[in-house]
Amino acid sequence: MKTKKIYLWSALTAIIVTATVNSCKKGSLNTSDPNNVTTDQYYKNSAQLTNGVNSIYVAIHSLGLVSREWFFIHDLRSDEVAAGGGQLEAPRGQMLNGNSDPANSVLNSVWNTWYIAIFRANVVIQNAPAVTDNTALRDRLVGEAKFLRAWAYFDLVSQWGGVPLYTVPVKTPNDFQPRASETEVYALIVKDLQDAAAVLPEKTGIDKGRATASAANAMLGRVLMQTGDYAGAKAALLKIPTTGANGYTLTSRYLDNFEEETEFNSESIFEIVFVDKGDSGFNWGGDSPTEAQSTVRNQEYNPIAWRNLIPSNKLINEFENTATGAAKSDPRFHYTCYQSGDTYNKGTSVLLDGDQNGNSSVMNGVTKKISFRKFMIIYKEGLPAASFHPGGNNQRIIRYAEVLLMLAECENELGNTAAAVNYLNMIRARADVAMPAYPTAQFPVGSKADVVKAIMHEKMVEMGCEEVRNIDILRWRKKQYFTTDPFSYFKKGRDELLPIPQAELDNNPKVNGHQNPGY
Amino acid sequence: MKPAFSVSGKVTDEDNQPLPGVSVAIKGTTQGVTTDASGNFKITVPGNSAVLVFKLIGFMQQEVTVTSGTELKVQMKKDTKSLEEVVVVGYGSQKRAKVTGAVSSVSGKTLASLPVGGIEALQGRIAGLTVTSNGSPGTGAIISLRGISSVNYGSDPLYIVDGYPGSLTGVDIKDIQSIDVLKDASAAAIYGSRGTNGVIIITTKKGNNNSRTEVTIDSYYGIQNVIKKYDLLNTQQYLQYERALNGSAGIALPPRLQPENFNKPIYAGSSQTFAQTNTNWQDAYFRSNAPIQQHNVALSGGNAVTRFYTSANYFDQQGIAQGLSAYHKAIRVNADHTISKILSFGETFNATVNHQLYGVDAGNRTAITNVVRMQPYLPVYNPNNAGGFMGPQNSFDGSDPTNPVEAANLINNTNHGFTIHGNAYATLKFASWLNFKSIYGIDYGTNKNNTYTPIYNDGGTSSSPTAVINYTRGSSTTQLFSQQLTFDKTFGNKHHVNAVVVYEAQSSRGDNQVSTGNQNTNTVKTLNGATNLFTNFTYGTNLLVSEVARLGYDFEGKYLISGSIRRDGLSVFAPGHKHESFPAASLGWKVDQEDFMKGLKSVSSLKLRAGYGVTGINGTVLGNYPYLQPISSNIATYPFNGSLADLGNASFYSGLSNPNLSWETTKQTNIGLDLGLFQDAFTLAAEVYTRKTDNLLLTVPTPPSFGFNGAGTLANVGSMRNRGFEITLGYHKTKGEFKYDITGNFSLNRNKVLTLNTANASITAGGDADYGGGNPLTNTVVGQPVQSFYGLIVDGIFQNAAEVSNSPTQTGAAPGDIKFKDVNHDGVINDADRTFIGSYLPKFTYSLNYSASYKNFDAVVFFQGVYGNKIFNAERIILEGMPRLFNAGTNVLNAWTPTNTGTNVPRAFSGDPNGNKRPSTRWIESGSYLRVKNMQIGYNFPTSWLRAKTDNALNRLRIYVASTNLLTFTKYKGLDPEIGSRNGTLTNGIDYGQYPQPRVVQLGLQATF
Repeated sequence: MKTKKIYLWSALTAIIVTATVNSCKKGSLNTSDPNNVTTDQYYKNSAQLTNGVNSIYVAIHSLGLVSREWFFIHDLRSDEVAAGGGQLEAPRGQMLNGNSDPANSVLNSVWNTWYIAIFRANVVIQNAPAVTDNTALRDRLVGEAKFLRAWAYFDLVSQWGGVPLYTVPVKTPNDFQPRASETEVYALIVKDLQDAAAVLPEKTGIDKGRATASAANAMLGRVLMQTGDYAGAKAALLKIPTTGANGYTLTSRYLDNFEEETEFNSESIFEIVFVDKGDSGFNWGGDSPTEAQSTVRNQEYNPIAWRNLIPSNKLINEFENTATGAAKSDPRFHYTCYQSGDTYNKGTSVLLDGDQNGNSSVMNGVTKKISFRKFMIIYKEGLPAASFHPGGNNQRIIRYAEVLLMLAECENELGNTAAAVNYLNMIRARADVAMPAYPTAQFPVGSKADVVKAIMHEKMVEMGCEEVRNIDILRWRKKQYFTTDPFSYFKKGRDELLPIPQAELDNNPKVNGHQNPGY
Repeated sequence: MKPAFSVSGKVTDEDNQPLPGVSVAIKGTTQGVTTDASGNFKITVPGNSAVLVFKLIGFMQQEVTVTSGTELKVQMKKDTKSLEEVVVVGYGSQKRAKVTGAVSSVSGKTLASLPVGGIEALQGRIAGLTVTSNGSPGTGAIISLRGISSVNYGSDPLYIVDGYPGSLTGVDIKDIQSIDVLKDASAAAIYGSRGTNGVIIITTKKGNNNSRTEVTIDSYYGIQNVIKKYDLLNTQQYLQYERALNGSAGIALPPRLQPENFNKPIYAGSSQTFAQTNTNWQDAYFRSNAPIQQHNVALSGGNAVTRFYTSANYFDQQGIAQGLSAYHKAIRVNADHTISKILSFGETFNATVNHQLYGVDAGNRTAITNVVRMQPYLPVYNPNNAGGFMGPQNSFDGSDPTNPVEAANLINNTNHGFTIHGNAYATLKFASWLNFKSIYGIDYGTNKNNTYTPIYNDGGTSSSPTAVINYTRGSSTTQLFSQQLTFDKTFGNKHHVNAVVVYEAQSSRGDNQVSTGNQNTNTVKTLNGATNLFTNFTYGTNLLVSEVARLGYDFEGKYLISGSIRRDGLSVFAPGHKHESFPAASLGWKVDQEDFMKGLKSVSSLKLRAGYGVTGINGTVLGNYPYLQPISSNIATYPFNGSLADLGNASFYSGLSNPNLSWETTKQTNIGLDLGLFQDAFTLAAEVYTRKTDNLLLTVPTPPSFGFNGAGTLANVGSMRNRGFEITLGYHKTKGEFKYDITGNFSLNRNKVLTLNTANASITAGGDADYGGGNPLTNTVVGQPVQSFYGLIVDGIFQNAAEVSNSPTQTGAAPGDIKFKDVNHDGVINDADRTFIGSYLPKFTYSLNYSASYKNFDAVVFFQGVYGNKIFNAERIILEGMPRLFNAGTNVLNAWTPTNTGTNVPRAFSGDPNGNKRPSTRWIESGSYLRVKNMQIGYNFPTSWLRAKTDNALNRLRIYVASTNLLTFTKYKGLDPEIGSRNGTLTNGIDYGQYPQPRVVQLGLQATF
């Protein structure tokens, strides 16, 4: 009896064990991720490729670049800005004073984020040939990716010199690239922009905010000028149409280029797009479909918010002023800067000294508080809303005025001073600028050297704090156009370039040991 | 045949003290009773005579033959042999004497006697186990055993609750029967891939067969207070400091402080001006006498077939600061049933609700950092503002902290958890030596995380134009099947063989749902009709399938040998890498059993042990599918055309697949000694160990030029070693009216990183612009302990310009600035001069527990301490780092000036051109402390008096007063020397302004009916 019971129980045990073992075999160890597709399963059609291209724009409008650190690196590396006061964070102060070290967070952010954009562009470019469902769209997407990759490498090569050149996405943890020569980097940029210009449509054929053929040609003009190829630059710039639906013209109102209601105007060639959701949000990092789409520029420079940077005395004194002997005071000073006594908030508020925290400026010998106006949205809002309000004002990257100024420089360098002056006078003739044409008493145009001075002046007052001065300084310094260097701290053989970020040196054995000189 | 008769009597110990809970059974039957609180019993005996068997753990069994209804007096003798406790090990239990691994135990009694909420009660109780508090109520402590074995992953031990590997959620400390900690690999390797950080085995209470139903109430109520506060500037001092800081740098008075503004009312309608305001932000933020309470009601009992234990628990802890609290409520039912001689069946069931109200560090600035930084001239409240609070206007005030009281009160962050855990098991006893156990368990947990920000505007740094609602719901279901066959037999009285084979599978599924949206009203607090709606749902599964075998053999209880192996298969790794074996072996020698020891009466026990084993860390910490690189699909958007209506979706990936991923494995050797002297009145256990972890799972950093923002890619590279020594000493005076027990623990561990992905690899962490400018605060490199503090060495203060120019070049330096040491002797002070400036790991930790009883009084004092560790006091950078204008500690008034040179606080100069705030030895402080962690005095009402007064209802009543963290001896300048880590990263021991532990005073009662 007892033995029988034991047999019975043993049989039951055997059943339990077998059942468990079997149930586990069914729930196999070979699981697969129900939430994601993996890299080998994506970028197979033009819709997926579109998402890939969009992700490059996403990287570029993130805080590592255009919504924050990109305008900082360009402005801090120009002579157009000064510290707003003690509130300027240390790494920015460091860069402003020429003390950047390889750990500087501003240059690290910009380097990192451009390479994110490059990686994403490489993914699109590499996967595109296999996409066949819409070859026209595919080719346009590759054009956009190449335009954005070229912009990225141009920004990198101009700040850091020869940088590691990646043209395909890395596959293994050891796919390190060494620093390429500047020539190699420029060769890729030029090729990418030529390819892009050939396949991209003009602005009526594409979403606002996407790269166009004109954006590629304008960027190619910038790049070729930097390499000294003025003829090539001129040729590219002249491809930009000036008439018809796709043509570009100067707006009659200068401030249209810096306000939210007049984004994508007739002068605008390429913009990075921001939108204010009305919640004062800013994407301080991370990706999510509902993240804020704003830029913090309005916060950083705003006279009544953080006021981290203010116009340098050099910039404010560059504007022609009757007090210093000009025939007319340049109205662009008031379009570029606010000073105490100015009205804002649709004319309903008056800016006071006490509203502007921090440092004062000296303009024509007078000490007063001056702050930036370009891109600030307090033209239409007051306190307390403006106290913290990252805004939705698009960052204009290339506008037609810059194309004219570049053409002026190309013509002058190619020996056509008259053509150059003609382009400059088109800029001065804008309806609400209406500055007297060159030559003026202060700016004769009798020689190529005179015209160089006029171009340098005109570009500074027209493009003040629009993140082009930094690149201009690099080019003009090489040509020895400055009698005194724009940077008081400048040491030849060091300050032309920024240091390669420490994280790159630490983790890329092919770059380690190849820091820029002087760091 | 004689009719049934009744026998009654009293059972006492050798000192004639009554013994309650003694089982009195009639031999050969299942009939029996238990003695009551006075040691009395009464039992009906059928027939002519019977043999009564008296049993109580810790006493020798006694048999008494009864033939008539006499009054028995039974005196039971202590059984030193059976006092050898039984230790729960993996898949079974062993007599303490036969354990060959490093296993430490704490009785539930020790834990439950202390009014401490959760597992942090283990602090100081087990040599080698470190428990570090890590934040506000409801935030789990950091628990680690024998140092740190992983760079990227946590040190959490594996918890086994009643045989079920899982979490501690729902286990109330009062329900615990015993805790056994498997410390070395020879013991823990039976849990294979999850054993590296040690195994904590928790056994909950079961009740006794044949006993009457007993009701226990255990309850306390206490108040908590901040132990220490900072010395902060008041309004007058702030004005003085502002001029010193900003004035020196030529920065104008911030608009607010200019007289015309400063003498304005703090808000429209107030008669008080800013100049007249002097807010003490610490008083505004911290709460006094915050209540803490815990109540437990338990029933236990049983008859011959069934025994049970059931309880209901409530624990509630309010924070000592605004907007922080936690509670849990739990019920438990444990029961088992002896159905026949062969079959028994049991189940445990536990349901818990958890609630936590927590704070979020906005922009990584802790609430305490904002408390320090808030301007004293600002009021807390402004009734004119939406939300009712006042904040600074960053530009107008020249400073941008956020109002910490506002953040704590307006923004509501809650976790609502619910867990349910059930375990059913059947045991088949085929023979006295062969046993089969089958377990099926379910663990279900769900957490609803809800954050709510209303529409508000404090007129300054903080506002929200729309209400923001975030609702995240996570749930997990785990199932365990375990089949265990145990063999245990002694052959020829000499050869004892014990063997276990186990087949086990544990599957898990986790679901996560997120919904967010905005409301343009504060009336609706849900997503009903919300705008900007976003939702997501994901799930993941994993499966662990294991085969386990263990064989133990001992000869005459003298020579012990044991070996085990576990083969784990885990779904999360790539095909071909899913399986791994984890072997272990150990030896023991009971020296006291040798003939040559027989003469040595004073040595009551002596055992030598040695063991070796291989363990891993749980592969699921990597996620469910870590080896494949996923596409982040539609993860971001770009507003082409300036439109939010038609956003361009973006997809990308950021990282590399690594199909070769596998477990981190640790090889550990342990040598131990157990000694008992004078009938084990004096006990000692000592352990020496070395643990070496290979295949360290490191996030190998990629160069930023790869395009992953420097994010690393996971790989098994690197190794790390921990070596240590532990000793536990005890003296137990168990006889006489005055009894006491002294237990001391001492442990020492040395950690060293042996290799990383490359010889020069450096894993930095902890950098934060607010706390020292952004340079990392810790660095992990080969040859140093993990996450050592990293920075410059302070070499005094420059007293004059000559000293500056005669010293190595230091950019921005002026008299009054800190002189840093030129560590690499290149004549320039820069990042290359950074070096290792201390470790958060203590040189040793120690504790001493003294418990005593005299007549009806009892007392406990428990000291706990650490020695030789450093704390990176990053909060002191906030207090006296002076990078730019914020409120600060009063030390800034002692800053260097040409007339105040005898100070160690550098000059006040806005912008800090010399980088005085940089991570350096300036912020490193000793973290050593000695704490009176618990202290308690109790009084037991005399049983006879109680019974008389309560008509025999109440058998036991004890009242006590207790205190937690009563006294702390430390040189640390922060609020609390117990510092955890930030988000579990390599930031242990950095004080970013961590929520401090309170001092608690409690009043409690324990009653048994």
